[in-house]
Amino acid sequence: MAEVATDKRERRERLEDILVVDCDVHVHESPKELIPYCEMPWRVALENIKDVQEFYLDIPGFSPGTTAYEAKFPTGQEATRMVHTASQMRRELHEIHVDIGILFPDHFLKLPVISQGDYASALARAYNAWLLEEWCSPENGLLGCILACPQDPEDAAREIEKYSGEPGMVGVFLPCAGLERLWGHRQYDPIYEAAQEADLPVLMHSVTVIHPVFPFNTQGFETEFGRHICSHTFSMMANIVHMITTGVPVRYPGLRVAVTEAGISWVPFLMHKMDKEYIERRREVPFLQDKPSTYLKKMYFATQPVEEPENLADLVTMMRLYDGEENTIFASDWPHHDFDHPQKVYQIPFTNEVRRKVFGENALKLFNIDASGRRLNLRG
Amino acid sequence: MTNNAEKKRRQEYVIGDVSNFPEGSHKVVKVGRREIGVFNVGGKLYGLPNICPHQTGPLCEGRPPLGTLVARGENDWKFEWVSEGEIVACPWHGLEYHVPTGRCLAYPNVVLRSYEVFRDGDEVKVRL
Repeated sequence: MAEVATDKRERRERLEDILVVDCDVHVHESPKELIPYCEMPWRVALENIKDVQEFYLDIPGFSPGTTAYEAKFPTGQEATRMVHTASQMRRELHEIHVDIGILFPDHFLKLPVISQGDYASALARAYNAWLLEEWCSPENGLLGCILACPQDPEDAAREIEKYSGEPGMVGVFLPCAGLERLWGHRQYDPIYEAAQEADLPVLMHSVTVIHPVFPFNTQGFETEFGRHICSHTFSMMANIVHMITTGVPVRYPGLRVAVTEAGISWVPFLMHKMDKEYIERRREVPFLQDKPSTYLKKMYFATQPVEEPENLADLVTMMRLYDGEENTIFASDWPHHDFDHPQKVYQIPFTNEVRRKVFGENALKLFNIDASGRRLNLRG
Repeated sequence: MTNNAEKKRRQEYVIGDVSNFPEGSHKVVKVGRREIGVFNVGGKLYGLPNICPHQTGPLCEGRPPLGTLVARGENDWKFEWVSEGEIVACPWHGLEYHVPTGRCLAYPNVVLRSYEVFRDGDEVKVRL
């Protein structure tokens, strides 16, 4: 049980002395970067857009975004930070005390909205090859997630198998933004089967898009304020509910599941909502061997964007409700506009033991790696 | 205490004639202040409390016991209809119980107490 560190004699460990695994940092992939890694005929399409003006996470024909919809006022916030190289990433993560960073894309957070399935899977293959070649390095503390293309689950499964023995790949990224069929659908079983076989966790990550599927049909909102909340948090809740109510954790009991960029305060809510529903509707989910919250608590939850209640001890209480000492993982979301400096999570009044778990040890369990980023599940 | 001595110490109450509890029937009888749901499942008589531990709903007053759905890995997690005539669902919130064992399907750690219901000549009795 997490407890507020009431024992004043326990000296708070310094952030610099704690292993920090950052479960969500973003590399910047562009059409130009991916050209050498992309197959024909799709390479021609990338050539064709390589000089198109890029808005933040928004390139027509690559990652359609929300730039077109609203007034843009100048601001002093550096809201369009990008990381272009592994060395830049290493340097910047070092500055915020991060030892190991788990790499996610920028644009391909939105891969599900690409309407041509073959193009989407070609982009995913190009990204995976590029990521491994240009970024992943356990020695450098940069570890990748294989991008799973939801439009072509069989191909995604092949990609997982292909990279399953790579020391630099430690997980599978399930993109959620604009996803048509939620991640519990049985069409994705090949992905889960491959991930479980490779002992690689799957990590869901969303982003704001305006797209006619729940919860991205956010055209009614007049603000990014509103869209951003729904696109991230509701998407995670919808996907988790779908996965549990279609029995993913039952069919793949060895599969580890994590969610990123949704904060944590909704986890107790979802836990209680699902358990309440289970009283009446068990027959719809007869494969569950236990109440839904049991499965939810086996998943991992990344902190960012961490809630900032006036009393930070509220977060300790909130985490206690979902056994969060064991399954909460730190994420900064560097370099994005809403990144969390580890200092904010450091301020939460955890015990030293729980603080170490949240900042690093839980992530080592999730990825099955050691403190130097080496995979402990590589065969041969 | 031996089983027989235990039985002697407990009281038997007549709750009706055998003809009142035909196969497939379920009815609620009152014994003192207790309400007991009596079920005839395949010729065997079972007694369960008429109160659902969830929110005190009248567990045994709803529709007769039906079957329910399960899903097993051996069958590719496809739904199967099983336990026909053995599952009572609380009319309030639908929480299901297996009549012969009293076990709650959603929360198997919850098991209702079972009352011993038996035939004695033309009469049906409950032993409390």
